[in-house]
This record gives sequence, C-alpha cells and structure tokens, in this order.
Amino acid sequence: MKNKALPNTADVVIIGGGVSGCSIAWNLAKQGQKNIVVIEREYLTSGATGRCGAGVRQQWATKANCILAKQSVEFFEQAQAILEYDGDVEFKQEGYLIVSSTPEETAQFKKNVRLQNSLGIPSKLLTKAEAKQIVPHLNTDVIDAATFCGTDGHLNPFTMTDAYYKAAKRLGVSFYTYTTVEDIDVKNGAIHAVKTNKGTIKTDVVVNAAGGWAKEIGEMAGVDIPVFSENHEILVTEPVEKMQGPMVISFSHNIYCQQTPHGAFIMGRGDKNMPKGHDVSSSWTFLDDMSKTVTTLLPPIGELRVIRQWGGLYNISPDHQPIISDAKDVKGFYMACGFSGHGFMLAPMTGLLLSELILGKTPSLPMEDMALDRFEGKEITEFETSVV
Amino acid sequence: MRIKEHPILGFKPRETIKFTFDGKTYQGLAGDTVASALHAAGVRKLSESIHRKRPRGFYCAIGNCASCNMIVNGAPNVRTCITPLEEGMDVRMQHGKGRVE
Repeated sequence: MKNKALPNTADVVIIGGGVSGCSIAWNLAKQGQKNIVVIEREYLTSGATGRCGAGVRQQWATKANCILAKQSVEFFEQAQAILEYDGDVEFKQEGYLIVSSTPEETAQFKKNVRLQNSLGIPSKLLTKAEAKQIVPHLNTDVIDAATFCGTDGHLNPFTMTDAYYKAAKRLGVSFYTYTTVEDIDVKNGAIHAVKTNKGTIKTDVVVNAAGGWAKEIGEMAGVDIPVFSENHEILVTEPVEKMQGPMVISFSHNIYCQQTPHGAFIMGRGDKNMPKGHDVSSSWTFLDDMSKTVTTLLPPIGELRVIRQWGGLYNISPDHQPIISDAKDVKGFYMACGFSGHGFMLAPMTGLLLSELILGKTPSLPMEDMALDRFEGKEITEFETSVV
Repeated sequence: MRIKEHPILGFKPRETIKFTFDGKTYQGLAGDTVASALHAAGVRKLSESIHRKRPRGFYCAIGNCASCNMIVNGAPNVRTCITPLEEGMDVRMQHGKGRVE
C-alpha cells in the first residue's frame, strides 16, 4: 500500500484502520458515499483487530450484544461472496462452548440461553457429559454445566479486514497508513478539519474508530467518551492436528481457548489488576496464570509449546456494550468504540448501523442502547457480564 | 558421516547407543543428538512439509526451525537436533502436525 499525498478535502474521514474502520468505510461506499478517507496510525489491523482472539460468538447476556452478534454472523457467513474476496476469510463455525463452574453461574447461563433463544440464537444448555462429548479433553471435574451454540466460531481478523479493505478500495475509498491524527478542528459546534502529521484534511464528518485510542480522539473534538483502555494478554502455541472444534470459554476460570484452522491454539485471559492505559506489553505472570488455567480446564493442551505471546487493548465502556453513535454537541462527529473486547465480531453491524446514521437513513436496528447519551445522568443497571 | 581424523583435535572412542527409527534399529554415539545420530547413519529425510509433503532434512540444527520435528517416545514435534540421544529411544517420522494424546 503506497501512500499518495493526503487530500486537502474529504466528505468523510474515518480514524482507525481496524476491522471497524474498514467495515464503516465499505458500508458507506456501498451506499454511494464518495470521497471517503481512512487514516491509520500504523498498518491495517495493527491495533486491537490484529491482536484479538479471532472468535465470533452470539452467546451474550444483553439483548443489544445478542442482536448485533447474530446479524454479524449472518454477514460473516456470506462475507466472502458479498465482498468478492479473492482469498479465504477463514470463517469456521464449530461453536463456542461456554462452561460454568458453579450452580449460580449456571443459573445466569440459563437466563442467557432463554434470552438468546428468544432472539433466534440456537444456543442450548448442556450437562457436563454432553459438554465432554463436544470437547473430549475437557476436565468436567472443574465445571458445573455448559452452554453451546454451533453457529459461533472462528474468523481470521487479518483476512476479514483485508476483505473489507479491498472491497472498499474498489469502491473508491482512499486509505492512508502510517498517518497520525494530531488534532480535530471544530468550528461553531461542527467538525471542520482533521490535522495529521502528513497534512490537514477539511471535512464535515469524522468517524472515531480508533479502538484503544477512542477516548483521546474524542478529546481532540471536545467530546467526552466514557471509555478506557486496558491491556489483555494472549498467547499462541505450536500447531497440532485438529483436536478441538469449538472455542472453550469460562468467565469464572477466566479463559478463552480455541484451536485455529492452522492447528495452533490461541488463548487469553483478563487480569483484574491491570492498570488502565495503552500499554500492550507481555508479562511472565500472564504466561504463568494462563498455563495453570488451561491445564486445569483442558489438561492435554499443557503438552504444547508456546510460540509467542502479545497484548492488545480492550476499549471498555461502562456497560460493556459498544458505543455506536453520533455526538449531540459536535455535529459531524461519529464514533464506534467501547466494544469491551468484542469489536471484531460485531464489525459488520458496526459498519452498517453507523453508515446509516451518517447518511441520515433509518437504522436497521434501534440504536438507543448504543447511543453515547445513554450514560448521561443515569445509573448503569444492565451491563454485559459475559466478558473474559 | 563422521570426522574420524583431524590434524589437531583427537577423538576418544565413545560408547554406542541403540535406538529405533520407524521400527528399525540404529546406532549412535554418546554425545549425539537424535538428529546427528540419524544423519551419521545416512538418514537424510527427517520430516515432511505440511501441505505438499516434500522431504525436510537437517536444517538449522539449533532448535529454531521445525525441519527435524519428529515423534520421540510418543511425543510429537520434538526438535531432534537439540534432543540428546538416549538408549532405547523410539523415534518416528511425523506425518502432519503431530497429535496430542
């Protein structure tokens, strides 16, 4: 991707070349929007997208997340054809097995499954024995029950983003990598220009899809977004022949672990003591905790060698649900952030909904649950609990 | 192939170590790695490429690449170039990515 000189003007400037930014760009272009520019500080997928666990699931505990996830899966199933991608996006639907470790957690899972089923998500509650049939190396001594949804699965974040990028590019979208946004000019309560280290672009519309840096981009435009970033670590093992179909997750054991189509296992966990910030370094404590957790829940995985580990930023909102919204006080400022660790799997709906909002169309889904102003003067009563 | 004579270095006789490779008995010397013993015995193909199944032999010899990955005593993906040879070892060619039992 060779960079041309930055244009002086654009109709839409999207900040962030992750899967969300690329999806928003493609959705806008597909609906006829011209002069779209995507600005990326490093390379496409260099932020949270390329560092994520590559999972796609619909088993959530809030209605908004469930609907966004379900409709996104429906897009992923057709993505290769819709985006006319020349490669393989590597969407593998072999399910998510979410295990509970206490009767209390199982009770919550029962509620989740009822909600999911009511929205058309084909999840079901399983006994330990049924869970073991799906993942034979699961240690059922440390679980109480499980839920399973067979249409969840794995998707390659690099190929998926590349598919959006290439399709958007064919529709005329311009991408500028290694370009840093330094400031956003707001005049009379409306977006006026975006200043970068490579020049200034005059524009009426800015989209904040900056992932871990969404709060800082908001501040440049004078918009206070109640999100923060947090490092979540992850590792990958050597590849072996296929032995595990679904992603296995436990919120109480604090682990997600899947085998990619290549054969390598990817696994991660959160750290309650992680300070807020933009650090994405790796720690030995993660390696230690991760190894203990995986050998407890999935003992044979302990035989595998770790190839590498890395970190990436969760951008966390107060209710752990995304903010896909305009900004009431700054005309022309839009945002897709606060995904709280699951922005990759929601990207199709992020792009669709935000593009509809920008183009002044009636959104395909009600967006009140995703609006920035939902946090104003209100206590958060419902928030997503199904997060590792 | 082993260096037996050298103008400066001397080589003391070393005890032999018996092991099997794909069921056939081989002999190495004390101090060998699994891969060096196989190489000395004339075995050039240690593994296969994953997709096209082309032969892979002794390559980096320092445990960085995966060219000499073999199944040793039932364990897959063993880097035989840095694994000391032991009496009675069961060494097998690995076809594919290896399996965790």
